[in-house]
Amino acid sequence: MTERIWGILTEGFGKILLASIQVTIPLTIIGISLAMIIAMIMAMIQYAKIPILSQIARLYIWIFRGTPLLVQLFLAYYGLPKVGIVMDAFPCAIMVFALNEGAYCSETMRSAFEAVPPGQLEAGYCVGMSYFQIMWHVVIPQALRTAFPPLSNSLISMLKDTSLVAEITVADMFMAAQKIVGRTYEPMWLYAEVALVYLMFSTILTLLQRRVEKRLSKYTMKNAAVQEALPGEAAR
Amino acid sequence: MSMLQIRNLNKSYGNVKVLKDISLSVEKGDVAAILGPSGSGKTTLLRCMNFLEKADSGSMVFDGTEYDLGHIKKNQIAQIRKKTAFVFQNYNLFANKTALGNVTLGLTSARKMPKEEAREKGLVLLDKVGLKDLAGSFPVQLSGGQQQRVAIARALATDPEIIYFDEPTSALDPELIGEVLEVMKALAKEGMTMLVVTHEMNFAEHVSNKIIFMSDGIILEENSSREFFEHPREERTREFIRRIRRDS
Ligand SMILES: Nc1ncnc2c1ncn2[C@@H]1O[C@H](COP(=O)(O)OP(=O)(O)OP(=O)(O)O)[C@@H](O)[C@H]1O
Ligand SMILES: [Mg+2]
Repeated sequence: MTERIWGILTEGFGKILLASIQVTIPLTIIGISLAMIIAMIMAMIQYAKIPILSQIARLYIWIFRGTPLLVQLFLAYYGLPKVGIVMDAFPCAIMVFALNEGAYCSETMRSAFEAVPPGQLEAGYCVGMSYFQIMWHVVIPQALRTAFPPLSNSLISMLKDTSLVAEITVADMFMAAQKIVGRTYEPMWLYAEVALVYLMFSTILTLLQRRVEKRLSKYTMKNAAVQEALPGEAAR
Repeated sequence: MSMLQIRNLNKSYGNVKVLKDISLSVEKGDVAAILGPSGSGKTTLLRCMNFLEKADSGSMVFDGTEYDLGHIKKNQIAQIRKKTAFVFQNYNLFANKTALGNVTLGLTSARKMPKEEAREKGLVLLDKVGLKDLAGSFPVQLSGGQQQRVAIARALATDPEIIYFDEPTSALDPELIGEVLEVMKALAKEGMTMLVVTHEMNFAEHVSNKIIFMSDGIILEENSSREFFEHPREERTREFIRRIRRDS
């Protein structure tokens, strides 16, 4: 490896990392957070079978899962201004990612809600709990546990998909690499470098996912030696 | 006056009448066993009585207050459920809660009891069903018999006036049935009012004081336990008893 390439890669690494801090990471975090809020609302609406709202939820999910993310980005950034809705590229990207990811997470959450045995709801009613109390204490915690692995996978996909925002002028990691390639004509090295940074981030997320999953498994593993620490008589 | 009365309860699924003009009464301290062949409507009756299913018509008198089952209101359901508890065939424990958490959740969430007070009460109840040592275990870590005992402790937590049991031992391996029946027997001795759908003839004959025999959606015979087994009034009842005597 020549000194020139080494220099380009060092410079590239700094710029890519900076772009990740300015764009890729906040976009991913804000995007998944908003997506989860949307998903919880959509899933609860469908779980509770609220008329009309359920249909609206299904329509939303159908549209956003049925069309390409890149097309959604273009439509929002280049198309919407034609009808008078103008947004900066970054908030526009956040909105599209939240809505797109929200549609996928809605489906994940809905099936996770439905996987909670209905008998537990009935048991909750029988001890006098209200629908919302049962949702809060029983259904949602179990649904989140069930949904955690697929949601983590969605998060990792989304992290990688953020590279598409370069197409609507958002200066993310991928665009940082593209810019240097334009100047240095070293696509091989720089795209490999940016790929490695993506790999690094997704590896971190995967490791985190494993750790959290282990902690969450306490009430789903039969032979788990984990018993909730019980200070006081029972533990003695 | 009876503590609980049901008058002319009707329930259909589609155009199949599952319960036809059911009337019964339960006195304080009764242990009433509901017997009858499969599909006779026993589960449906219990579920209608605790509003897990909505009856089409009929009325309920609970502690002197009359309720129209066909037009029951939410706050009336809440009022009645405060005095009742339900034990399910398949336990239905909250999977994300420990044994203790299962017992206390109704207290802390629905009744706003302080956590510490609920915890103490929960431990007393788990002790009563012989599971204090397993208070911190999650349902998956417990045997069926242990789960059902936790479910009974959960039912007791809210100090019900009556507990409904729907075949509490039917999902259990034979060797685990005894421990659950023991707990139920102890409750009966303490004077707890219980309405128990069961196939355990031993329990029906020796623990319960009253038998409600159902067949095809009607109550064919309502009788004291002794009379029912020694001098059954109905031919169908006699046949039923002959059959179970032969089987066991
Ligand atoms: N949700 C439902 N929809 C339609 N029919 C139902 C429903 N639940 C019960 N039934 C019917 O109602 C009748 C009574 O059922 P139920 O479960 O109350 O009987 P059971 O006496 O509890 O029987 P088992 O001893 O098998 O538990 C049966 O014919 C059953 O098929
Ligand atoms: Mg039944």
